[in-house]
Amino acid sequence: MSMVSVDKSVDARGAYCPGPLMELIKTLKTSPVNTAVEVWSSDSGSAKDIPEWVKKVGHELLYVQEETGYWRIAVRKAK
Amino acid sequence: MENVPKLSIVMLSSDLEKLHAGALMGSVAAMSGMTVNVFVTMNALEAFRKDVIEEQKFLSGTIGNELLSKKVPLFNEMLREGKDMGDLYLYGCAMAMDVMEWKQEDLIDEFDDIIGVTKFFGLAEGGQILTV
Repeated sequence: MSMVSVDKSVDARGAYCPGPLMELIKTLKTSPVNTAVEVWSSDSGSAKDIPEWVKKVGHELLYVQEETGYWRIAVRKAK
Repeated sequence: MENVPKLSIVMLSSDLEKLHAGALMGSVAAMSGMTVNVFVTMNALEAFRKDVIEEQKFLSGTIGNELLSKKVPLFNEMLREGKDMGDLYLYGCAMAMDVMEWKQEDLIDEFDDIIGVTKFFGLAEGGQILTV
């Protein structure tokens, strides 16, 4: 499903919750609107938490893709 | 401004796990668009002293020991990130500071002010309060 091309990738594998979310937020904060950011997380909590945060804050969740031992979660900055 | 959801967290304990849980909830709430007031009082205050953080002299149990050995960013770093990326304020309890004869400069630089309970209630009014 990851047919969307991402502008930036953040490798947060090895960080514990909420580390990957914090890395994603930092990257979104410094990126212009419409930027698609993908975060790599080996923490299973973040795979559930990040989509929840995206929904709450109002960005667009592009995909959550499970790889071997980690997740790729992509978000488009909406505002 | 009045419609921004508000969360206030009272940190009482010097247990590393409780400090970690409070800081984690506070920083994530701040980054999710909430205004967060963290009020540090009683034994929790000692853990925010610069010398205690530098020497990592924390009270810790099973999970706290693992947080330390895995070098997970601790409560002070999470709160700093919450401040950098959200609307998070850190307050020390004036009573505990006075009793211990500590000064604000003994604490980490992230403290916004040293306040009393009346001021804290004013800040917390209308929002949720968590005590850890």
